Amino acid sequence: MTNWTDLQSCRFIEASARERAIGLVDEGSFTELAGPFDRVTSPHLKLLGDAVAFDDGIVTGVGQIGRTPVFVISQEGRFIGGSVGEIGGAKMVNTIKLAIDFHDELVAKFADLDEEEKPMVVISFETGGVRLHEANAGLLAHAEVMDQLQKARGKVPVIALIGSKVGAFGGMGFVAAATDVIIMSEFGRLGLTGPEVIEQEMGKEEFDASDRALVFRTTGGRHKYIMGDANFLVENSIAAFREQVSALTGLSIEAFEEMRRIGSSAKVKAQLRAVALAAQMQPGDATEVWSHAGNTDAWGLIDLPLSDFLARVERLSV
Amino acid sequence: MEMQESMMGRGRDAIEMIVDAGSFAEGTVGTEAFADPEFGPGAVVGTATVQGTLCTIIASDGGAMNEKFPVVYAGIIGLEEGYKMAEAVYASIAADAEKPLAEKRPLVLIVDTPGNGPGKVEEIFGMNKSTAAYQLALAEARLKGHPIIAMVIGRAISGAFLCHGLQADAILSLDAQFGTMIHVMPLTSVSRIIRKDLETLEDLSKASAVFAAGPRFFHSLGGVEALVETVEGMRPAIAARIAEVRTAKAEGRQDDLGPWGRGKLGEARGGRTERPRVIALMNREFAEVAGRYAPAR
Repeated sequence: MTNWTDLQSCRFIEASARERAIGLVDEGSFTELAGPFDRVTSPHLKLLGDAVAFDDGIVTGVGQIGRTPVFVISQEGRFIGGSVGEIGGAKMVNTIKLAIDFHDELVAKFADLDEEEKPMVVISFETGGVRLHEANAGLLAHAEVMDQLQKARGKVPVIALIGSKVGAFGGMGFVAAATDVIIMSEFGRLGLTGPEVIEQEMGKEEFDASDRALVFRTTGGRHKYIMGDANFLVENSIAAFREQVSALTGLSIEAFEEMRRIGSSAKVKAQLRAVALAAQMQPGDATEVWSHAGNTDAWGLIDLPLSDFLARVERLSV
Repeated sequence: MEMQESMMGRGRDAIEMIVDAGSFAEGTVGTEAFADPEFGPGAVVGTATVQGTLCTIIASDGGAMNEKFPVVYAGIIGLEEGYKMAEAVYASIAADAEKPLAEKRPLVLIVDTPGNGPGKVEEIFGMNKSTAAYQLALAEARLKGHPIIAMVIGRAISGAFLCHGLQADAILSLDAQFGTMIHVMPLTSVSRIIRKDLETLEDLSKASAVFAAGPRFFHSLGGVEALVETVEGMRPAIAARIAEVRTAKAEGRQDDLGPWGRGKLGEARGGRTERPRVIALMNREFAEVAGRYAPAR
């Protein structure tokens, strides 16, 4: 394992789940829960004669950023695409639950607890959703995660980090959408239906899944930032993600609520204005929406260095 | 098992079978009116009584097509549909905001949906937000005391079931003789993707419910509370569940309901035994170190 200082400059997209988990919090502060030494492995994969992972493809634990306890969930795309099964799903669910319970415990114990001392949850996504080898259990776990996200509302902020190879798709695409804040790198991808499935449903003329530039224009970090689906767009390093998370510690829960895209009737009504725009525009390409947002040279945004992009881009407002 | 006539694609018929005769007011929930017939036609929302109790009804209409979003047909939940369903939930919460727990209106979800809208426009604008918005709204209503009962009548498939069904307090399903489909993917597709032959998977699914398709497997995993044997049985079964859920909420037993409650049920029924083990392990491990993460004073 690389040391913490070296991890900071690691490219986020290539970092393993454990490297991300350790590097995102303060040096030496991470305690892994149900880690590989516990060897909790999927009996369902074993039954099928498939390889198992001692952490079931997900790293869960707790660390600190400054004075803030940070509960971390980090998915490993190199193990069956970061897919969620019974054990990995339960680890995810229970990490959020531990954060909520810890919040309640601290609030009850310390009358003068300040915002920075309250726990937060960080989820580093790298997954296509349900693990088909144990699909039903994985699906049920997704519903439990959504339930915990709602239970965390008003207490524990939940931050999504998306910048790993696999992206965040399928059921985990909803989970990411349901968090308070989404931080992406330009290499992150977020969506519901993966590109191959869209191609299969709509035909190659409509959507060519092998066209990587098209895939990134539709689901990538720059697009999601323009749409307001990503709150922050950062450089592709563990340090950059860590700094952005760190900048959010200590904010009030109301400030986190404001950063949400969905989660109230008013926010749904705002999203419906965007849907009306979708119906009216019927965009054949995401760049048409970028132009509509006020970017005169939409195609030129694609290759701008990140800092220039952030300085120049107009984000969609409906 | 004698096969019965399928309810697939018949969400509107199911509403009539479930609610008290003539009581369904489509397009009205509390003070919210869904007046535009072209808005989210794949989702039917409204208010009705079920054995005298005022309920919000949310169903999919398998016969409707959304002209603006052509991926929506056969009960698919599209961008508009997900948000429309969410709005029906928020309207229910708002209508009963001042009422005591015992008077929060139940929500009845009639489930027959094959999927969430796949498509380029959907991805550009973020279909994931639409379905997530509905799930969060349901979870909020459930936690605020509204009893939510899902009744699976046809297809409850993968992400669409997550969206419309799996956030309920309790889930009922017509039994297998109705051809009810509950799964992430049919076993034939699973076999192709994970590269295992179908016969092996069929054999294994007799011993393990975690990847097999059908209401009975979900029942053993705790993913479905109870199976209903006849269409006439739906109304009394839903009414009885509403009463049970109300009692549980009045007694503060929210943890026996909803997704977390179904986790406990999955353990009790022997279908999901790893989940509680790993949760207990994490709780023990965290308890040992929790002091390090609390303020030092």
